[in-house]
Amino acid sequence: MPLQPIPIETDRVAVLPGVLADEPAAFELRLPTFEGPLQLLLHLIESRQLDVLTIPLADVADAYVQHLARHPVDAANLSEFVAIAAQLILLKSRRVLPGEPMPLAVDEEAEPDEEELRRRLVEYRTMRDAALVLGERDLVAPLLRREPRDEDLPVAVVPPLPVTLLSQALELLAAVPEPAAPPPEVMLREITIGMQIAALRRAMGRHGQVILQAVLAGCRSRTEVAVTVLAALELVRRRQVRVAQDALFGPIVLEPMPGAGE
Amino acid sequence: MSELDDLAAFYEALLFIAERPLATAELAQLAAIPRLQAEAILSGLAGELEDGRRGLRLQRNDDAWQLVTAPEVGERLAAYAAREEPRLTPAALEALAVIAYRQPCTRGEVERVRGVDSDYVIRSLLHRRLVVEVGRRDTPGRPALFGTTFEFLERFGLTSLDDLPPLSSTAAAATALTAVAEDGSPSPVAGAPAPDHD
Repeated sequence: MPLQPIPIETDRVAVLPGVLADEPAAFELRLPTFEGPLQLLLHLIESRQLDVLTIPLADVADAYVQHLARHPVDAANLSEFVAIAAQLILLKSRRVLPGEPMPLAVDEEAEPDEEELRRRLVEYRTMRDAALVLGERDLVAPLLRREPRDEDLPVAVVPPLPVTLLSQALELLAAVPEPAAPPPEVMLREITIGMQIAALRRAMGRHGQVILQAVLAGCRSRTEVAVTVLAALELVRRRQVRVAQDALFGPIVLEPMPGAGE
Repeated sequence: MSELDDLAAFYEALLFIAERPLATAELAQLAAIPRLQAEAILSGLAGELEDGRRGLRLQRNDDAWQLVTAPEVGERLAAYAAREEPRLTPAALEALAVIAYRQPCTRGEVERVRGVDSDYVIRSLLHRRLVVEVGRRDTPGRPALFGTTFEFLERFGLTSLDDLPPLSSTAAAATALTAVAEDGSPSPVAGAPAPDHD
């Protein structure tokens, strides 16, 4: 089965540092780029005419790692390539140490399972082959359905209109009065502590001292009351006013602190 | 002409003028007959068109029907109704194959089979309307389930999903794998691996 090169943009290609990277490039080969590790692994097995079902996968570990080192792969899936490489290397290392029982893996999930990998390869091969068969049919003999024609689109039946209608419409349009000016925009009145500090200072400037309750009585909203009280407290904190209250619930008198600069 | 023949002719005409696939339930309602009977008439009509080697076929997808041209005339028709559309890439075909044969299936399942991230290819398949979201799987995250469309069947010259080419190696491979697993020791391959020829 011919292997189809996968077109990918060059900026997505990564090359692992190669063992043979310094080999002189005598001539350049156009190689297929592998999108995924299973695709590469299967290619390595099939290009040697080995049977996926029986070959010990450790046998292709070297070829797989060498390929990774020498050829570009799709950088977007680099981690998947490396994960499979790690599995293959571990499978191989077990074979190199005959009779040595492998220490139990700390995490059983991390234990590479050769048959699991083989099952994935076979499953992938099935779908790759199905994709090749589908690809041979792609747009070759499509089944066409009836396309709606322009004439099929419903056309509203309208009797011809007299030309005078247009001029009449224009006159009517001219007679339409100008639209009334929009009502003034309603804006939320914003009250800030700074504003109320200024107001308190103005009042104290006029009268020498101010009774807080009197100022609050002139407020138009709960928010304004709250902000005004905060403004008074702020002036106290800044030591710009002195506050006095003779009796509980009595009048709170604010007067400028002597010597406090404005 | 029997009543059934009349209804078959009615359905053929209806599907000829319809500009969209019609559901079995819809067709049954229009003929005021039970659904099962409508289905039998439609299957009969589909068989008739195919056996008679006619220029049209009745295409079925997930309980909806539409009249399309026969695969046999597709190549000749291309001269009249050529589609200036690029062929699908191998990656897109792979993802599409997994969805077509495993449907309904999730993106995760496509990625497990292919061993690579498939978000982009599935998006492109959705964009070309070759697959659609047919539901959500009742597992954490409720992943979208994808299935193939009429556009998919049309593009690949299939009258229904039953016409999908049979999977080549599944059955044989599954049997062989089980045998290997039971044997416990896959026969090692003789000789050193050949040098890398790719």
